[in-house]
Amino acid sequence: MLAIRELQASYGAIRALHGISLEVKEGELVALLGTNGAGKSTTLKSICGVLKPTGGSVEFLGEDISGKKPETILKRGISLVPEGREIFTSLTVAENLRLGAFSSYERGRYQQDLEEMFSLFPILKERFAQPGGLLSGGEQQQLAIARALMSHPKLLMLDEPSLGLSPTMVDLIFDLIVKLRERDTTILLVEQNAERALKIADRVYVLNTGTMEFSGTPQQLESELDIEAVYFGGADDSSCEVTL
Amino acid sequence: MSAKKSIFTAPAGRSTVLALIVLLIVGAVLVNTFAEFVWIGIYTYFCVTLMMVLGLQMFMGNSGILNWTYLGFVGIGAYASSILSTAPQLKSMGVPNMYPALVQLQMPVLPALIVGGLVAAAIAAIIAWPLMRLSDAVGVITLFATLIVIHVVMTQWDNVTNGPRTFFGVQAFTSIWVAAAAASLTLFAAHLFRESSLGLRLRASRDDRHAAMAVGVSVVAVRYFTFVLSSFVGGVGGGLWAHYITSFSPTSFYVVETFVLLTMLVIGGAGSISGATFGAVAITVMREGLRQLEGYLNNSGVINFEVYGLTEVMVAVLLITILIWRPDGIIGGREFTLSRFRRKRSPNQDPEAETA
Amino acid sequence: MINGEFIINTLSLGSLYALLALGLVFVYGILKLVNFAYGEYLMVAGYAMYVFGTFAQLPWYVTMVLAVLIAALTSYLTELVAFRPVRSKSLNAMLVTSFAVSVLLQNAAVLFVSPRSRAVPLPPAFNQSVTLLGVTSPLRNLLTIATAVVLLTALTLLMKYTVLGIAMRAAADKFTTTRLMGVPANLVISVAFIISGFLAGVVSIFWVGRSASVEPLIGFAPLLIAFIATVIGGMHSLLGAVVGGFVYGLLFNVLSIMLPASMINYRDAFMFVIVILFLLIRPEGLIRGGYTEERVG
Repeated sequence: MLAIRELQASYGAIRALHGISLEVKEGELVALLGTNGAGKSTTLKSICGVLKPTGGSVEFLGEDISGKKPETILKRGISLVPEGREIFTSLTVAENLRLGAFSSYERGRYQQDLEEMFSLFPILKERFAQPGGLLSGGEQQQLAIARALMSHPKLLMLDEPSLGLSPTMVDLIFDLIVKLRERDTTILLVEQNAERALKIADRVYVLNTGTMEFSGTPQQLESELDIEAVYFGGADDSSCEVTL
Repeated sequence: MSAKKSIFTAPAGRSTVLALIVLLIVGAVLVNTFAEFVWIGIYTYFCVTLMMVLGLQMFMGNSGILNWTYLGFVGIGAYASSILSTAPQLKSMGVPNMYPALVQLQMPVLPALIVGGLVAAAIAAIIAWPLMRLSDAVGVITLFATLIVIHVVMTQWDNVTNGPRTFFGVQAFTSIWVAAAAASLTLFAAHLFRESSLGLRLRASRDDRHAAMAVGVSVVAVRYFTFVLSSFVGGVGGGLWAHYITSFSPTSFYVVETFVLLTMLVIGGAGSISGATFGAVAITVMREGLRQLEGYLNNSGVINFEVYGLTEVMVAVLLITILIWRPDGIIGGREFTLSRFRRKRSPNQDPEAETA
Repeated sequence: MINGEFIINTLSLGSLYALLALGLVFVYGILKLVNFAYGEYLMVAGYAMYVFGTFAQLPWYVTMVLAVLIAALTSYLTELVAFRPVRSKSLNAMLVTSFAVSVLLQNAAVLFVSPRSRAVPLPPAFNQSVTLLGVTSPLRNLLTIATAVVLLTALTLLMKYTVLGIAMRAAADKFTTTRLMGVPANLVISVAFIISGFLAGVVSIFWVGRSASVEPLIGFAPLLIAFIATVIGGMHSLLGAVVGGFVYGLLFNVLSIMLPASMINYRDAFMFVIVILFLLIRPEGLIRGGYTEERVG
């Protein structure tokens, strides 16, 4: 479905991605892991058009979408749940959701879509008329996901959905992601919470300062790599050296 | 970023600035020797304009903030220097309501110019600190409003400025040599400033405000001192202009002139001195040329409606074109050097490609 | 001196200023651009009224509608030709561009019409005095208030209950995220400019109505008013612009009464100083908005 080849991206003079490749097949849940600053968000931004790649290509459903505008890419079927949620705080929950459906609005279907969202995220029904800014972090994350789903995307991308959330909320969000997976939504998940992500992903990529360090299944990753060492620099005193 | 640099180690662009100074002086010699009187006037006017542009560049180019107030301080310097240096008889004739103390005051032109600059700097020092704290849109509007306030005061304060009417009788002091000398000094000063500790800190704050604050740069303080310094230069430049043109009114220090100076900076490249100079040359040439054209068209009867405003329209179109095509200016934000010119010819590795 | 006339006068002036401020904030909210060319949209409408009124002999209501439409069109064109190509560059580049467009339009008027002012024919009823509830005022003032009420209501309905309005509010909040929702950037920006020009055009009718003439620099004073009213009210919300406009109108009238005759020419300076001082205490203005400062990329 999605194929990235030798993607390069920069912020001004600083090169963030040095030519990475990844693939997401239909129906998969692919996790993209890495530490802070590894380039995970940059990758998502390059896919959905917020950032213009400086090299390589992004292909979606056979079409080259690299360098296209964000609004065009959404119409092609890729929806992003941005890092930090990016809820429109001065708009109500209802308005946030309505906006999510901007390009795919069909009068007959809309109420149905809303009902579906309410069943997945009951809290949104409760807070339907409230401004987004009044919601808690976890509620905002749910709203952000619901908003992205309103456009009936073929590929859903989530950028660090568990960031800044309480453990209960993190559980809820990951349960949600699994539920979506079970409904055959194709998902590309970017996470720092490697442990949880590995539990639910079909395949995983690991990014390290702009280069792809690993690609394979979670089982392969766990046998090849000391994940804790990658993230925390050594789980016990004896493992001082990390080889990838 | 906070390392102090000695001014005796030659930093980037020093040779360029020295070359510009040489060119300027050689130009003055050539024009004075060979050219007609009107060209000497144009060259003098150009040198004074260059000084004013450089004063603006010192603040704007290094801070990234559009200084809408600048012409106000140019005007303050012009009026101050004129009032201080003009003979009492002329003053009481030309400005009937002037305060007696000001009428009696007289000093030679050169100190008057400096004092004029200091007056401008003093007023800047009083009002600028809070202005430097305002960011973005509010800052733009407030700076613009400040220009208006200064303008209103100039147009209304009969006892000092003769109100909206012309202030005349100013001593002619600015010969081509004075102007060229002043411009040369300012070129060097602007360069020194740019590479000085203050200048570097200011540029750091322009490029990344938060990073600069993180390394201990007080952004507001750095902007403030530069603003005052820039106002001093502008004030002296205003005085020089007053002593060239010998009579003026508040309209010369308002929106149109702001547009002209701003255009010069932007077209050349606000970040560099060679850019500012290039812009000053280009726009002066263009405006002079168009003004001649306007005059010719109006007087010769070639077309039967009057052509005013053509100059401004063309300059505005040029500015918009440059902004679309080369928003950093034709020269750009780094000083023009021969080595940069040479480097463009041989395809080497881009030295800016840093990996994170 | 606070009598019925003063109230009507202030409401009328405040309405005008509120509409002016609103037009400026529509563009500012989304693009974070202070549009120096805004005053010139008003000027263009004024010249349209002059041209159509003098040379085309159209009925006055047709002239006015045309003038407003032309102002909106001019605004749209300036965005398309000058602002759009510069949008992806720096905010400063956009600011200087707006300044250049302003100078361009002003001098185009000088070049193609005249540097001198031109008389604009107005319907005679405009300046007739009307007595309402014991208060006498020019009809124009009452019309200003009525127009403002209608327009403000219409805009509120647009912004609250249409998808376009929701999209525009979202764009003023977080522009890039709005694009991620599939909302075309060019659409919201163009609409903002069209509304901005439309409002300038409407104000132009009443502004020209006061002097019955138009000249190239006529847009300068309204621009300043829009600037100041928006910063007073708060640049982050449409409500702030409206409030700022009324407050500024009130300030203007109060100062006009209170200042001694010798100082009356300093009124503008006084107002600006008061506003600047106010800003130093409260830079975000009277109405705090919910918007974050995100620049368009």
